[in-house]
Amino acid sequence: MRRGRRASWTARWRVATATGIAASAWLCAFASGTAPVAHYVLDPAKGSLEFNFDQAGAQNKGKFTRFQVSFDFSPDSLAASRLEVTVEMNSANTGDQERDDTLRGADLFAVAKFPQAHFSASQFTRTAGGFEALGKLTLRGVTRDVRVPFTFRNATENGVAVGYMSGKTTLRRLDFGVGQGDWKATDQLGNDVGVSFALRLTAAAR
Amino acid sequence: MVMRNTTERWGALSQLLHWLIVVLIIVQVTLAEMADELPAGMKKLTLLARHKSFGITILGLALLRLAWRLRNPTPLLPGTLKPYERALARITHLMLYVLLFAMPLSGWMMSSARGFPVSWFGLFQLPDLVPKNKALYEALLTTHGTLAAVLAAVVALHAAGALKHHFIHKDDVLRRMLPFPSTTSGVKR
Repeated sequence: MRRGRRASWTARWRVATATGIAASAWLCAFASGTAPVAHYVLDPAKGSLEFNFDQAGAQNKGKFTRFQVSFDFSPDSLAASRLEVTVEMNSANTGDQERDDTLRGADLFAVAKFPQAHFSASQFTRTAGGFEALGKLTLRGVTRDVRVPFTFRNATENGVAVGYMSGKTTLRRLDFGVGQGDWKATDQLGNDVGVSFALRLTAAAR
Repeated sequence: MVMRNTTERWGALSQLLHWLIVVLIIVQVTLAEMADELPAGMKKLTLLARHKSFGITILGLALLRLAWRLRNPTPLLPGTLKPYERALARITHLMLYVLLFAMPLSGWMMSSARGFPVSWFGLFQLPDLVPKNKALYEALLTTHGTLAAVLAAVVALHAAGALKHHFIHKDDVLRRMLPFPSTTSGVKR
Protein backbone atom coordinates (compact mmCIF):
# COMPACT_ATOMS: atom_id res chain seq x y z
CA MET A 1 0.00 0.00 0.00
CA ARG A 2 2.72 2.39 1.06
CA ARG A 3 4.89 1.28 -1.74
CA GLY A 4 1.97 1.66 -4.13
CA ARG A 5 1.32 5.19 -3.00
CA ARG A 6 4.98 6.12 -3.45
CA ALA A 7 5.02 4.62 -6.90
CA SER A 8 1.87 6.50 -7.72
CA TRP A 9 3.39 9.84 -6.59
CA THR A 10 6.47 9.15 -8.73
CA ALA A 11 4.32 8.36 -11.70
CA ARG A 12 2.26 11.50 -11.18
CA TRP A 13 5.40 13.56 -10.83
CA ARG A 14 6.73 12.16 -14.07
CA VAL A 15 3.48 12.82 -15.90
CA ALA A 16 3.35 16.35 -14.54
CA THR A 17 6.93 17.03 -15.53
CA ALA A 18 6.41 15.65 -19.00
CA THR A 19 3.22 17.65 -19.40
CA GLY A 20 5.02 20.78 -18.23
CA ILE A 21 7.85 20.31 -20.67
CA ALA A 22 5.45 19.60 -23.50
CA ALA A 23 3.36 22.62 -22.60
CA SER A 24 6.43 24.84 -22.35
CA ALA A 25 7.69 23.55 -25.68
CA TRP A 26 4.31 24.14 -27.21
CA LEU A 27 4.11 27.62 -25.76
CA CYS A 28 7.61 28.44 -26.96
CA ALA A 29 6.78 27.11 -30.36
CA PHE A 30 3.56 29.09 -30.41
CA ALA A 31 5.30 32.24 -29.30
CA SER A 32 7.98 31.87 -31.93
CA GLY A 33 5.60 30.92 -34.70
CA THR A 34 5.28 27.17 -34.50
CA ALA A 35 8.53 26.03 -36.12
CA PRO A 36 12.23 26.52 -35.57
CA VAL A 37 13.80 29.38 -37.44
CA ALA A 38 17.14 28.88 -39.14
CA HIS A 39 19.82 31.51 -38.86
CA TYR A 40 21.49 32.36 -42.16
CA VAL A 41 24.40 34.55 -43.10
CA LEU A 42 25.61 35.65 -46.49
CA ASP A 43 27.98 33.54 -48.54
CA PRO A 44 30.07 36.54 -49.63
CA ALA A 45 31.34 34.76 -52.72
CA LYS A 46 27.82 34.22 -54.03
CA GLY A 47 25.85 37.30 -53.26
CA SER A 48 25.07 40.19 -55.54
CA LEU A 49 23.44 43.46 -54.58
CA GLU A 50 22.92 45.65 -57.61
CA PHE A 51 21.31 48.97 -58.43
CA ASN A 52 20.31 50.68 -61.61
CA PHE A 53 19.25 54.20 -62.40
CA ASP A 54 18.30 56.34 -65.34
CA GLN A 55 20.78 58.97 -66.44
CA ALA A 56 19.60 61.14 -69.34
CA GLY A 57 17.38 58.33 -70.57
CA ALA A 58 20.01 55.61 -70.37
CA GLN A 59 20.15 52.89 -67.73
CA ASN A 60 23.31 52.90 -65.63
CA LYS A 61 24.19 49.88 -63.50
CA GLY A 62 26.20 49.43 -60.36
CA LYS A 63 26.66 47.09 -57.43
CA PHE A 64 27.72 47.04 -53.82
CA THR A 65 30.62 44.72 -53.28
CA ARG A 66 30.60 44.75 -49.46
CA PHE A 67 27.49 44.06 -47.40
CA GLN A 68 26.43 41.76 -44.60
CA VAL A 69 23.24 39.77 -44.26
CA SER A 70 21.77 38.14 -41.19
CA PHE A 71 18.52 36.33 -41.86
CA ASP A 72 16.50 34.36 -39.32
CA PHE A 73 13.94 32.73 -41.49
CA SER A 74 11.57 29.89 -41.89
CA PRO A 75 8.71 29.99 -44.38
CA ASP A 76 6.64 28.34 -41.64
CA SER A 77 7.38 30.87 -38.94
CA LEU A 78 7.30 34.25 -40.54
CA ALA A 79 6.43 35.87 -37.23
CA ALA A 80 9.80 34.84 -35.82
CA SER A 81 11.73 35.81 -38.94
CA ARG A 82 14.06 38.75 -39.07
CA LEU A 83 16.28 40.25 -41.75
CA GLU A 84 19.22 42.58 -41.18
CA VAL A 85 21.28 43.92 -44.04
CA THR A 86 24.16 46.34 -43.70
CA VAL A 87 25.68 47.85 -46.82
CA GLU A 88 29.06 49.53 -46.98
CA MET A 89 28.20 52.52 -49.16
CA ASN A 90 31.84 53.06 -50.03
CA SER A 91 31.76 49.77 -51.93
CA ALA A 92 29.44 51.21 -54.61
CA ASN A 93 30.91 50.22 -57.94
CA THR A 94 29.60 51.23 -61.36
CA GLY A 95 32.82 50.32 -63.13
CA ASP A 96 33.83 53.94 -63.61
CA GLN A 97 36.05 55.76 -61.13
CA GLU A 98 34.65 59.21 -61.91
CA ARG A 99 31.04 58.07 -61.62
CA ASP A 100 31.81 56.16 -58.39
CA ASP A 101 33.53 59.18 -56.85
CA THR A 102 30.53 61.30 -57.80
CA LEU A 103 28.15 58.79 -56.19
CA ARG A 104 30.21 58.69 -52.99
CA GLY A 105 30.37 62.47 -52.82
CA ALA A 106 28.57 64.72 -50.35
CA ASP A 107 25.61 65.46 -52.66
CA LEU A 108 24.75 61.81 -53.27
CA PHE A 109 25.71 58.94 -50.92
CA ALA A 110 27.86 61.16 -48.67
CA VAL A 111 29.84 58.11 -47.55
CA ALA A 112 32.14 60.14 -45.31
CA LYS A 113 29.17 61.07 -43.13
CA PHE A 114 26.94 58.03 -43.74
CA PRO A 115 29.26 55.08 -44.37
CA GLN A 116 26.55 52.43 -44.05
CA ALA A 117 23.01 51.81 -45.14
CA HIS A 118 20.91 49.49 -43.03
CA PHE A 119 17.76 47.52 -43.68
CA SER A 120 15.96 45.86 -40.82
CA ALA A 121 12.77 43.88 -41.30
CA SER A 122 10.70 41.79 -38.93
CA GLN A 123 7.36 41.77 -40.74
CA PHE A 124 7.04 39.11 -43.37
CA THR A 125 4.07 38.08 -45.44
CA ARG A 126 3.43 35.44 -48.05
CA THR A 127 2.63 36.69 -51.52
CA ALA A 128 1.62 35.02 -54.76
CA GLY A 129 5.22 35.03 -55.93
CA GLY A 130 6.95 34.28 -52.63
CA PHE A 131 7.35 36.60 -49.69
CA GLU A 132 7.49 40.24 -48.85
CA ALA A 133 9.53 41.90 -46.13
CA LEU A 134 8.35 45.17 -44.69
CA GLY A 135 11.15 46.91 -42.90
CA LYS A 136 13.00 50.11 -42.30
CA LEU A 137 15.75 51.27 -44.58
CA THR A 138 18.20 53.82 -43.27
CA LEU A 139 20.09 55.43 -46.10
CA ARG A 140 22.07 58.66 -45.90
CA GLY A 141 20.72 59.13 -42.37
CA VAL A 142 17.05 58.97 -43.41
CA THR A 143 14.86 56.06 -42.27
CA ARG A 144 11.81 55.02 -44.24
CA ASP A 145 9.55 52.00 -44.60
CA VAL A 146 10.48 49.85 -47.56
CA ARG A 147 8.77 46.77 -48.94
CA VAL A 148 11.00 44.13 -50.46
CA PRO A 149 9.39 41.25 -52.33
CA PHE A 150 11.60 38.19 -52.54
CA THR A 151 11.73 34.52 -53.23
CA PHE A 152 13.38 32.01 -50.93
CA ARG A 153 14.41 28.45 -51.57
CA ASN A 154 16.29 26.29 -49.10
CA ALA A 155 18.44 23.30 -49.85
CA THR A 156 21.10 21.12 -48.32
CA GLU A 157 24.46 21.24 -50.01
CA ASN A 158 27.30 19.00 -48.74
CA GLY A 159 25.41 18.56 -45.48
CA VAL A 160 25.03 22.31 -44.96
CA ALA A 161 21.67 24.04 -44.97
CA VAL A 162 21.65 26.86 -47.49
CA GLY A 163 19.08 29.35 -48.69
CA TYR A 164 18.76 31.13 -51.99
CA MET A 165 17.12 34.51 -51.73
CA SER A 166 16.47 36.93 -54.54
CA GLY A 167 14.28 39.90 -55.24
CA LYS A 168 14.09 43.46 -56.29
CA THR A 169 12.47 46.68 -55.30
CA THR A 170 12.44 50.29 -56.37
CA LEU A 171 13.50 53.17 -54.15
CA ARG A 172 13.03 56.86 -54.74
CA ARG A 173 16.45 58.34 -54.11
CA LEU A 174 15.10 61.76 -53.10
CA ASP A 175 13.08 60.15 -50.26
CA PHE A 176 16.46 59.54 -48.64
CA GLY A 177 18.10 62.81 -49.66
CA VAL A 178 20.31 61.05 -52.21
CA GLY A 179 20.62 64.09 -54.43
CA GLN A 180 21.46 67.51 -53.05
CA GLY A 181 22.19 70.67 -55.00
CA ASP A 182 22.09 70.06 -58.76
CA TRP A 183 21.22 66.42 -58.14
CA LYS A 184 17.80 67.29 -56.73
CA ALA A 185 16.62 67.60 -60.31
CA THR A 186 15.32 64.38 -61.77
CA ASP A 187 15.39 65.22 -65.49
CA GLN A 188 18.98 64.05 -65.90
CA LEU A 189 19.18 61.58 -63.01
CA GLY A 190 15.93 59.72 -62.41
CA ASN A 191 14.34 59.56 -58.97
CA ASP A 192 13.61 55.83 -59.22
CA VAL A 193 16.49 53.54 -58.41
CA GLY A 194 16.07 49.82 -58.91
CA VAL A 195 17.69 47.56 -56.34
CA SER A 196 18.02 43.84 -56.96
CA PHE A 197 19.73 41.05 -55.11
CA ALA A 198 20.51 37.38 -55.52
CA LEU A 199 22.05 35.84 -52.43
CA ARG A 200 23.32 32.46 -51.33
CA LEU A 201 22.93 32.16 -47.59
CA THR A 202 24.43 29.52 -45.37
CA ALA A 203 23.01 28.34 -42.05
CA ALA A 204 25.16 29.41 -39.13
CA ALA A 205 25.20 29.13 -35.36
CA ARG A 206 23.38 32.03 -33.81
CA MET B 1 13.22 75.02 -105.76
CA VAL B 2 13.22 71.33 -106.57
CA MET B 3 13.63 68.56 -104.03
CA ARG B 4 15.92 66.39 -106.12
CA ASN B 5 19.47 67.11 -107.25
CA THR B 6 20.34 67.78 -110.87
CA THR B 7 23.78 67.69 -112.48
CA GLU B 8 23.68 71.51 -112.15
CA ARG B 9 22.42 72.12 -108.63
CA TRP B 10 21.86 70.52 -105.29
CA GLY B 11 18.16 69.95 -104.59
CA ALA B 12 16.31 71.21 -101.53
CA LEU B 13 16.76 68.07 -99.44
CA SER B 14 20.51 67.86 -100.07
CA GLN B 15 20.89 71.53 -99.17
CA LEU B 16 18.79 71.17 -96.04
CA LEU B 17 20.81 68.15 -94.89
CA HIS B 18 24.12 69.87 -95.70
CA TRP B 19 23.41 73.02 -93.70
CA LEU B 20 21.61 71.24 -90.88
CA ILE B 21 24.68 69.08 -90.37
CA VAL B 22 26.91 72.18 -90.48
CA VAL B 23 24.87 73.74 -87.67
CA LEU B 24 24.84 70.50 -85.66
CA ILE B 25 28.61 70.11 -85.98
CA ILE B 26 29.07 73.64 -84.57
CA VAL B 27 26.71 72.70 -81.71
CA GLN B 28 28.70 69.50 -81.14
CA VAL B 29 32.06 71.29 -80.93
CA THR B 30 30.57 73.86 -78.54
CA LEU B 31 29.01 71.21 -76.25
CA ALA B 32 32.22 69.14 -76.22
CA GLU B 33 34.38 72.16 -75.38
CA MET B 34 31.99 73.29 -72.63
CA ALA B 35 31.81 69.81 -71.10
CA ASP B 36 35.61 69.49 -71.14
CA GLU B 37 35.88 72.60 -68.98
CA LEU B 38 33.58 71.26 -66.28
CA PRO B 39 34.35 69.00 -63.32
CA ALA B 40 32.38 65.76 -62.98
CA GLY B 41 28.83 66.62 -62.04
CA MET B 42 25.28 67.14 -63.18
CA LYS B 43 26.11 69.97 -65.60
CA LYS B 44 28.80 67.97 -67.35
CA LEU B 45 26.54 64.92 -67.62
CA THR B 46 23.75 67.07 -69.05
CA LEU B 47 26.02 68.60 -71.71
CA LEU B 48 27.46 65.22 -72.64
CA ALA B 49 23.99 63.66 -72.85
CA ARG B 50 23.04 66.38 -75.36
CA HIS B 51 26.31 65.92 -77.23
CA LYS B 52 25.51 62.22 -77.58
CA SER B 53 21.92 62.90 -78.67
CA PHE B 54 23.03 65.40 -81.33
CA GLY B 55 25.75 62.99 -82.43
CA ILE B 56 23.20 60.24 -82.99
CA THR B 57 21.06 62.79 -84.87
CA ILE B 58 24.02 63.55 -87.16
CA LEU B 59 24.53 59.82 -87.71
CA GLY B 60 20.89 59.48 -88.77
CA LEU B 61 21.11 62.53 -91.05
CA ALA B 62 24.36 61.22 -92.57
CA LEU B 63 22.64 57.93 -93.41
CA LEU B 64 19.76 59.81 -94.99
CA ARG B 65 22.17 62.02 -96.88
CA LEU B 66 24.18 59.11 -98.23
CA ALA B 67 21.01 57.26 -99.29
CA TRP B 68 19.67 60.40 -101.00
CA ARG B 69 22.97 61.05 -102.75
CA LEU B 70 23.11 57.50 -104.12
CA ARG B 71 19.58 57.87 -105.54
CA ASN B 72 20.11 61.29 -107.10
CA PRO B 73 22.32 62.86 -109.73
CA THR B 74 25.35 64.66 -108.30
CA PRO B 75 26.14 68.17 -109.54
CA LEU B 76 29.23 67.95 -111.74
CA LEU B 77 32.54 69.56 -110.91
CA PRO B 78 33.44 72.45 -113.20
CA GLY B 79 35.32 71.29 -116.31
CA THR B 80 37.95 73.95 -115.76
CA LEU B 81 39.41 72.12 -112.76
CA LYS B 82 42.92 70.75 -113.03
CA PRO B 83 43.19 66.97 -112.39
CA TYR B 84 44.82 67.53 -108.96
CA GLU B 85 42.03 69.95 -107.95
CA ARG B 86 39.47 67.42 -109.08
CA ALA B 87 41.22 64.69 -107.03
CA LEU B 88 41.47 66.98 -104.02
CA ALA B 89 37.75 67.79 -104.18
CA ARG B 90 36.85 64.11 -104.47
CA ILE B 91 39.10 63.11 -101.54
CA THR B 92 37.78 65.96 -99.39
CA HIS B 93 34.16 65.01 -100.05
CA LEU B 94 34.87 61.34 -99.44
CA MET B 95 36.59 62.13 -96.15
CA LEU B 96 33.69 64.32 -95.05
CA TYR B 97 31.26 61.48 -95.64
CA VAL B 98 33.52 58.99 -93.84
CA LEU B 99 33.91 61.37 -90.90
CA LEU B 100 30.15 62.02 -90.67
CA PHE B 101 29.87 58.33 -89.81
CA ALA B 102 33.15 57.83 -87.96
CA MET B 103 32.65 60.71 -85.53
CA PRO B 104 29.30 59.60 -84.07
CA LEU B 105 30.18 55.90 -84.25
CA SER B 106 33.48 56.38 -82.38
CA GLY B 107 31.62 58.51 -79.81
CA TRP B 108 28.90 55.90 -79.40
CA MET B 109 31.49 53.10 -79.05
CA MET B 110 33.42 55.23 -76.57
CA SER B 111 30.30 55.66 -74.39
CA SER B 112 29.61 51.92 -74.51
CA ALA B 113 33.22 51.08 -73.62
CA ARG B 114 33.05 53.39 -70.62
CA GLY B 115 29.75 51.97 -69.41
CA PHE B 116 27.69 55.13 -70.03
CA PRO B 117 24.97 53.96 -72.42
CA VAL B 118 23.69 56.36 -75.05
CA SER B 119 20.13 57.59 -75.20
CA TRP B 120 18.56 59.81 -77.84
CA PHE B 121 17.23 62.86 -75.98
CA GLY B 122 15.96 60.59 -73.22
CA LEU B 123 13.39 59.07 -75.58
CA PHE B 124 15.04 55.73 -76.15
CA GLN B 125 18.23 53.98 -75.16
CA LEU B 126 20.59 52.71 -77.82
CA PRO B 127 22.29 49.32 -77.51
CA ASP B 128 25.93 49.17 -76.47
CA LEU B 129 28.20 48.75 -79.52
CA VAL B 130 31.14 47.29 -77.60
CA PRO B 131 31.53 45.72 -74.17
CA LYS B 132 32.71 47.81 -71.26
CA ASN B 133 36.50 47.96 -71.34
CA LYS B 134 38.75 50.64 -69.90
CA ALA B 135 41.63 50.22 -72.37
CA LEU B 136 39.21 50.24 -75.29
CA TYR B 137 37.60 53.39 -73.89
CA GLU B 138 40.97 55.15 -73.68
CA ALA B 139 41.75 54.16 -77.28
CA LEU B 140 38.35 55.34 -78.51
CA LEU B 141 38.65 58.62 -76.61
CA THR B 142 41.90 59.30 -78.45
CA THR B 143 40.31 58.21 -81.73
CA HIS B 144 37.28 60.46 -81.27
CA GLY B 145 39.53 63.44 -80.49
CA THR B 146 41.88 62.74 -83.39
CA LEU B 147 38.97 62.36 -85.81
CA ALA B 148 37.58 65.68 -84.57
CA ALA B 149 40.90 67.35 -85.40
CA VAL B 150 40.94 65.69 -88.84
CA LEU B 151 37.34 66.81 -89.39
CA ALA B 152 38.27 70.40 -88.50
CA ALA B 153 41.11 70.30 -91.04
CA VAL B 154 38.96 68.74 -93.80
CA VAL B 155 36.10 71.18 -93.14
CA ALA B 156 38.58 74.07 -93.41
CA LEU B 157 39.86 72.68 -96.72
CA HIS B 158 36.28 72.16 -97.96
CA ALA B 159 35.23 75.71 -97.00
CA ALA B 160 38.44 77.19 -98.50
CA GLY B 161 37.72 75.29 -101.73
CA ALA B 162 34.13 76.59 -101.85
CA LEU B 163 35.27 80.17 -101.23
CA LYS B 164 38.02 79.84 -103.86
CA HIS B 165 35.38 78.74 -106.39
CA HIS B 166 33.14 81.66 -105.44
CA PHE B 167 35.65 84.49 -105.23
CA ILE B 168 38.52 83.41 -107.48
CA HIS B 169 37.01 81.10 -110.10
CA LYS B 170 33.74 83.09 -109.83
CA ASP B 171 31.71 79.95 -110.64
CA ASP B 172 28.50 78.50 -109.15
CA VAL B 173 30.02 75.78 -107.01
CA LEU B 174 29.17 77.51 -103.71
CA ARG B 175 25.91 79.03 -104.92
CA ARG B 176 24.48 75.72 -106.03
CA MET B 177 24.51 74.60 -102.37
CA LEU B 178 22.61 77.77 -101.38
CA PRO B 179 18.84 78.15 -101.54
CA PHE B 180 18.74 81.44 -103.43
CA PRO B 181 18.73 81.26 -107.23
CA SER B 182 21.94 80.99 -109.23
CA THR B 183 23.20 83.94 -111.16
CA THR B 184 23.00 83.81 -114.91
CA SER B 185 26.64 82.76 -115.24
CA GLY B 186 25.76 79.06 -114.85
CA VAL B 187 28.24 76.33 -114.11
CA LYS B 188 31.45 76.52 -116.08
CA ARG B 189 32.51 73.15 -117.36
